[in-house]
Amino acid sequence: MSSAWLLYCFEAIAALSALGILFVRNVFYGALLLICCLLAIAAVFVFNHAEFVAVTQILVYAGGVLVLIVFGIMLSARHGGKPLVVSHNYLISGVLLSLSILGILIYAISKTVWPSPTALTTQEINIEKVGVHIMSDYLLPFEIAGVLLLVALIGAIAMASSKSKSV
Amino acid sequence: MNALFVICGLGIISLIAEIANFRKWLISIIVLGLLGAAALVVADWNTAVAYYHDMLVFDNFSLAFTGLIIGSSLLWFWTASDFFEALFHKTDKSALILFAIAGGVLMTSFNNMAMLFLGIEILSISLYVLAGSRKEDLGSNEAAFKYFLMGSFATGFLLFGITLVYGATGTFQINTIANYVLTHAGELPSFFYAGALLMLIGLAFKISAVPFHFWAPDVYEGSPTAVTGFMSTVVKIAAIASFFKIFATCFSTIAPVWYTILLVIMVLTLVIANITAVYQNSVKRMLAYSSVGHVGYILLAFLADHKESDGTIFFYLAAYAVSSLAAFGALILVGGKEENTLVERFNGLFKRNPIVAVGLTIALLSLAGIPPLPGFFGKYLVFAMAINNGMIPYVIVAIVTSLIGVYYYFRVIIAMYFKDAVAEPLKVSTSKEVLIVVLILITLALGIFPDFLIQLL
Repeated sequence: MSSAWLLYCFEAIAALSALGILFVRNVFYGALLLICCLLAIAAVFVFNHAEFVAVTQILVYAGGVLVLIVFGIMLSARHGGKPLVVSHNYLISGVLLSLSILGILIYAISKTVWPSPTALTTQEINIEKVGVHIMSDYLLPFEIAGVLLLVALIGAIAMASSKSKSV
Repeated sequence: MNALFVICGLGIISLIAEIANFRKWLISIIVLGLLGAAALVVADWNTAVAYYHDMLVFDNFSLAFTGLIIGSSLLWFWTASDFFEALFHKTDKSALILFAIAGGVLMTSFNNMAMLFLGIEILSISLYVLAGSRKEDLGSNEAAFKYFLMGSFATGFLLFGITLVYGATGTFQINTIANYVLTHAGELPSFFYAGALLMLIGLAFKISAVPFHFWAPDVYEGSPTAVTGFMSTVVKIAAIASFFKIFATCFSTIAPVWYTILLVIMVLTLVIANITAVYQNSVKRMLAYSSVGHVGYILLAFLADHKESDGTIFFYLAAYAVSSLAAFGALILVGGKEENTLVERFNGLFKRNPIVAVGLTIALLSLAGIPPLPGFFGKYLVFAMAINNGMIPYVIVAIVTSLIGVYYYFRVIIAMYFKDAVAEPLKVSTSKEVLIVVLILITLALGIFPDFLIQLL
């Protein structure tokens, strides 16, 4: 029972920090709230026995994407001297759009028949399973992802290298 | 599968070329390698083997489209040889092009959504960089950035769609999804349909169908002409093959859900792309809109009979790819260093260089669909298929839009023959003249013997 309350706690933290991003004007505080939100969602994953997703969430989002965002803020804030501030220009259309999306989501969720929750019988180790799958069934996608990273690396080098250096 | 290994290997070889200093022979190595890959495709014909736990299946459909991709890439390397000579980072560019081709092969042969996603991403990321390969040019930078933003946006849609479909069916294998949909008809959760529609939107971005085409003209115009030629042939073939594969297998049984949406997309693509092309003064932009328009005819064939249209679509794409490569090749020759080639630049081209003019004329006539060129047979097959399936109103729309197409293609042809030349005779290297003759011969061969390609699938 106590773990259920903890789960709700983390869900509330995620929802509140996501809501906070809407009202915070300073982009840097927004990024910090985003970290808070993403870590809380990682905790929610842990409570739902999806440890691997939780670890990936922390590594990729909190570790990678947010560092990028903070770097972006740092580099682009250098020119003005003032902190980066967001402005809300399309208030009415934005509210209408998000309300309609909320309506669609509520409608879809209420219409969907969810499978009834079953208690986990054994404590399965998810991460081990994921590893075995990556090395057996999903070996080819795993290797091809290497090609994807190689392409991204070549692309980054080709874009970043100076044009004056002739080959 | 072996062809895929060869292409990936060539990509790595071209990276090594920089270190081991054999850049001079790189293009010949690549061409030989691609010829080898084409031979491997022919050797695998009629085998239909599944590789690596059904991740990839090289059945005849995949092999035919892989062969088409490799063939157009070979011709593309010939037309775009200046692209590698003139710009810096020759080996990086050839590596990116080769990996893009490998991504395209994955997109035709995937049997698992994960492979589809990886294929699309490998192809797209290479192209984002290639679109921006003229770094000093603002238009090229804009093209790269726009393509990157729009492409990532579309990938988001696609990925979300894949996730929802996985959530509903519990598998990434497209055949298993198709079976699941067949056996569980009527009890599928609503988010499965949402997933299918999100995938439709994501793939419509990639094949640049209206109203998801708005990135295409700017990207096609801003990118170096050679890269534009690659995008509108090899990339388009791969994107359409993956679109066909997903919707003809996975979502075939839920056709009523997407049929009307795709119908609207098809009509919009035909009408808006062809009408906007009329107003373009830049030939490159005109070709960009025309390439969007051609997607409309392919979608018409797909909508007429989404199970049996693969042969028609294959022939249409082959005819389109050859003509398109010839048109972009001529554009590179006429445009020279200048990237934005206006129609006026083609004035009196016949007097300046008759071979280029005749080659471009045949390519444009084929794109316009004038008999006995392959473009005509492609359109004829599409229309015949649509009429057999009772889509006469849509065929009328398609015929009217192809007449509009004749108008804008003929603007260039008229400029070439009936306007006075403004510049000196255009000097073209012998290899390019041979290429033009080869392209003309392929075009005529496709027009005279269309059965050869149609009966493949």
